[in-house]
Amino acid sequence: MSPHQVKPQKGPRPGKRAANKERTQHAILKAALELFSKKGFHAATTKEIARKARIAEGTLFNYFRTKEDLALFFFEQELERMMGWFRQEKRLQRAPLPEKLFAIIHHHLERISPYEEFIGAVYLRALQPASKLSPLSLDSLELKVRYLRFIRNILTEAEEAGEIPQLGDMGPYVFGLFQLAVITHWLHDSSPGKENTLALLDRGLKVATSVLKKGGWEW
Amino acid sequence: MKAANPSGALTRGLRLGKLGLTLTGSYLGYQVQNLWLEPGGRDERRRRLNQQASRQIREELQTLKGPVMKLGQMLSMQSALLPEEALAELANLQMRAPAMHPTLARAQFKAALGKHPEEVFREFEPNSFAAASLGQVHRAVTRQGDRVAVKIQYPAIRTAVENDFKLLRSATIPGRISGHVPTALLDEIEQRILKETDYLNEARNIELFHEKLKPLDFVRVPRVWWDLTTERVLTMSFLKGAHLGEWLAPRPSQSLRNLVGHRLLELFWYQMTHLHALHADPHPGNYLFAPDGAIGLVDFGCIKEVPPEFLELIRSLLIGDPLPDDRQQDRLIRLIWGPQPAVNNGVARDVLKAAKEFYKRVYPHADGGCPRGVALDFGDPKLIQGLAQIGSQCARHKLLRPEWVFYKRAELGLYNLLHRLGAKVATEDVLRKYVRPEATPASAP
Repeated sequence: MSPHQVKPQKGPRPGKRAANKERTQHAILKAALELFSKKGFHAATTKEIARKARIAEGTLFNYFRTKEDLALFFFEQELERMMGWFRQEKRLQRAPLPEKLFAIIHHHLERISPYEEFIGAVYLRALQPASKLSPLSLDSLELKVRYLRFIRNILTEAEEAGEIPQLGDMGPYVFGLFQLAVITHWLHDSSPGKENTLALLDRGLKVATSVLKKGGWEW
Repeated sequence: MKAANPSGALTRGLRLGKLGLTLTGSYLGYQVQNLWLEPGGRDERRRRLNQQASRQIREELQTLKGPVMKLGQMLSMQSALLPEEALAELANLQMRAPAMHPTLARAQFKAALGKHPEEVFREFEPNSFAAASLGQVHRAVTRQGDRVAVKIQYPAIRTAVENDFKLLRSATIPGRISGHVPTALLDEIEQRILKETDYLNEARNIELFHEKLKPLDFVRVPRVWWDLTTERVLTMSFLKGAHLGEWLAPRPSQSLRNLVGHRLLELFWYQMTHLHALHADPHPGNYLFAPDGAIGLVDFGCIKEVPPEFLELIRSLLIGDPLPDDRQQDRLIRLIWGPQPAVNNGVARDVLKAAKEFYKRVYPHADGGCPRGVALDFGDPKLIQGLAQIGSQCARHKLLRPEWVFYKRAELGLYNLLHRLGAKVATEDVLRKYVRPEATPASAP
C-alpha cells in the first residue's frame, strides 16, 4: 500500500474532504522530511515546507501549528505503519520474543535512518518539559499509550507462552526505556553500518529475556 | 553451592566488571554468555564440561584467567591431551560467535553490503546451515542461478576483540592472570583473531589457495563472489560434501578412508613445502568430504605463513637421525623458543629429543631404507595416545615461539583427524614425495 492510498474512514460522510485532508497532511510531511534531511530540523522553515508541498503557508498552519506537531504526526504515522507491518509478518509472529522485539526496534531504526538529523533534533526537543514531544506532555500521550499497548500485547503473548514471567504494565515501560537507550546509542553510533547498535540490541534483548526467565542473574 | 561460597557472586561480579564484560564490549563475554545463556543444548554442554578432564577448563573459564589467550593456548598445545568432546567444546568456544536469528542476520547483511539479501540474491535462506568462525553461513542462489554460501559475521566482533585485549594488557589485570603468557603470544593471538574478522582477507586467502592447490586434483576450494563480499560478508561458491561425522556414518570402506587419510597428509605437506602457508585450523568442520574421497576446504580465516627456517627445523626433526650435533641443536632451540630462549638448555634438549621421538612414531621409516607403501595405522589408540604424551611434554614449556604453537596445533589436529578416520597411511610415501627430496641431497654424509 502506498502512503497516499488511504483507507476509507468509517462514519456518515466518508467523503472527499477527509481524503483530501489526509493527502495534504502527507504531502506536507513528505516535503518537511525532505527538507529536514537536507537542511536540518532547525534550519528548515515553515515557509520552505509550504512551498515544497505546494500549499500556502497559511494552509500549512491549519494542519500543523508547529514543527513539533509535524514531528508528532510523523511518529503517529510510523507507529501505524509499524503495527500494520508487524501484523503481516507471519514468520515473526512465531519467532521467540527477543527476535520479535529486535525486529520492532530495528524496523523503526530502518524507517527513521534517512532522517537521522531530524530524529536527533526531536530527541533534544523532547527533553524540554514544555515541549509537545516531551514524554510527559499530553499531546504525545495518546501516541505513547498506543505504543505501550502494542508492546503489552506482544509481552502478554510471551507471558502466556511461558517465555517470560508475568511482568504486568512494567514490561512495556521498561522496554520503552530500553528502546530510548538504543536509539540514543544509534544516534551516536559511528561504526560501519551502525553494527554496534545491532550487537547491543541483540545481546541486550537476549540477556534481558534470559535473566527474566531465570528470575535473576545466576553465575 | 551458594552457601559454600557466600562472597562468590560479588567477587565474580567484580571480576566481570574488571574484564569489561559488557553486553557488546567483549568477545570473550559472548563466549561465556553463550555457554550459560543459550537454551538449546546448554545443560548438555554444561554436563560435558563437568567431565573430569574438562573440569579444569571450565574453572579457568569461570574465573576468567587470561581468557582469550588461555583458550588459544589450550587449543593449540593440548589438543591431543583432551577428550574429544572437550576439544570440540573448546574449539567451538573459541570460534563461535553468538547465533543470529533471521532478522539480525538480514540486518547485519544490510549493514555490511548496503542492501538486503533479497535485493541481491534470487534466493536466500533466512536460517543459517552452519556456524562459522565469528559468524554463520547461509545458503543462497545468485541472480545468475549459482548456488553460494554466504558467511555473515556477527556485528561488532572486531570492537569486542579489541576491547578484550586492551583490558588484558591494561594494568588493572593482575599479573598473575596475564603474566605467564608472553606478550609476543598475546600479540600473535590478537592479530590472528583480528585478521579473522576481516572477511576480505579471508577472500584473498581463498583465491590464493584456489590457485596454488590446483596441482592437487582431489582438493576443492571455493570461488569468491567479490561483488557480494565485504569485511563482514563473504559470498563463495557452495561446496558439496559432508562433515567428517556424517561422512563416516555410512561406514565408508577401509580403502576409501585410507585414500582420504593419505590425501589429508599429502595436502598438509604440500602446503608446507609448496605454499609455505597452512590452512591452519584443524577443526574437522573445516573439511568437507565427498563420496569419492575428494576434500573440500572451507574457512580460510586462519592462514598461517610458514617461515623457511621453520620448514628446515621440521625437516631436521623429521629426517636427521640421530639428532644433529650440539651447535645445530642450539640453532633448533632458538628456532623453537626465539632468539633468547627463556628455557633451561637441558630442558630444551629434552624437548627436542621428545619431538624427535614424536616424529619417529608418525614417520617410523623416515630414516630411509624402508620399502614403499608401509602403512601406519592412525586408528590405533596407542599411537595417538603416545603422540599425546609427547605433545604434552613439549607443551608444558610455555615459552614457545608463537609460530611453533600454531604449527603444533595444526599438525596435531591433522593426526587427530587421521585417527578419527581410522586411516592407514603410508606416511613415508608422502614424506618422500614432498619433504625428502630437497632435504637429503645425494652428497649428504
